[in-house]
Amino acid sequence: MTREERFEAEALPLLRSLYGVAYRLTRNAHDAEDLVQETYLKAYRAFDRFTPGTSIRSWLFTILYRLRTDAFRKAGRSVKTQELTGEGPGVPPPQAALASGGEDLQRALDALPEVFRTAVLLRDIEDLSYQEIAEVLRVPIGTVMSRIHRGRALLRESLAERKP
Amino acid sequence: MSCDPERVTGLVDEALEPDDRAALAEHLEACPGCRQQAEEERALRARLRELPPAVLPAGLEFSVRRRLRGSGGRRLVRWLLPVAATLALATFWGRAFAPFVAWELALEHRHCWGQPQLPAKVFSNDPAAVAAFFERRGTPVPVLPDRAGGLELIGGRPCRLIDRGVAHLYYGNQDKRLSVFVVPGSVRLDRSLRTKRGGESIALLRVGGSVVGLVSDDSASVEAFSRALTVSVARYDQ
Repeated sequence: MTREERFEAEALPLLRSLYGVAYRLTRNAHDAEDLVQETYLKAYRAFDRFTPGTSIRSWLFTILYRLRTDAFRKAGRSVKTQELTGEGPGVPPPQAALASGGEDLQRALDALPEVFRTAVLLRDIEDLSYQEIAEVLRVPIGTVMSRIHRGRALLRESLAERKP
Repeated sequence: MSCDPERVTGLVDEALEPDDRAALAEHLEACPGCRQQAEEERALRARLRELPPAVLPAGLEFSVRRRLRGSGGRRLVRWLLPVAATLALATFWGRAFAPFVAWELALEHRHCWGQPQLPAKVFSNDPAAVAAFFERRGTPVPVLPDRAGGLELIGGRPCRLIDRGVAHLYYGNQDKRLSVFVVPGSVRLDRSLRTKRGGESIALLRVGGSVVGLVSDDSASVEAFSRALTVSVARYDQ
């Protein structure tokens, strides 16, 4: 098997998963496609540095996230600055808020600051472990826990507000 | 122990050390607030997992494979591929296979209008503002109407057709949608081409130095725009 065949066999089955994350990060099909293509291209060029036996999925997410933050940096913005907004909800919303339709949740997720959205996406939709998320985002595990906590709290708060 | 909402999140995700987990589980027994938080986070997790996945664009896997092939491979192949591609493109554009162009435009039309949100890079109902946007990106757009056949200009985005930057403009009203594509350079087209692909009506017209493609699932809208464009070109030429 050539290097190219090995890469395609291991990495391409994850296209749907990668596109899903890219789409939820960029909230735009065109940008998501660009991001996914760049991720594959960069991963292919760096494939020699990938350690066999480790998770190729987290490795690809790491590259995708790096490209995304690089794009922010080039545009003069920072994903991290969004972390400073708000202090998180004080009062937990009622359980009933969580029973509404999926559109509400989708909108609430889209409205989440990207730094929290990324953590929640990787944990709750992609089912990565804290350790894997810490490697993707290059932050300590405590920060992963804190971001997931804040993300979920904001989601619960937003869903409770929408509920009449 | 006192309440620690972040660690409750860690407990929900089974990410705590065994001792920590036992102590927090004990706290939850006695603390309705933390217990409620844990229950709500579990319910939220379940709902997030059930969100419908994003729809994978039809051509994405093909594009990724093509880009991978273009970036790697053996040296000879790496050298030959661009040469072969250039030859193929020269043949393609030189011979101007208009029905193929029409087909590609219909796919692009369906792709954009099929998104939950129109992927426009410029939103405006002012043709001059939209034209200026494309001009800055090196795609001159001929004089276009702000509305025709009851459809209004919404905006547009640059896209690629084979190797060319194409301006894709969106027109619509409450129930009809139409795409105007401005394809720079030459496509061999005697006068115009009218065709249908699936549900879409397509017209390719020569307007000024460009070829303009019109795509809509409403053939009357395509006709209305063909007339509007011919008229505006006639005015432009005077």
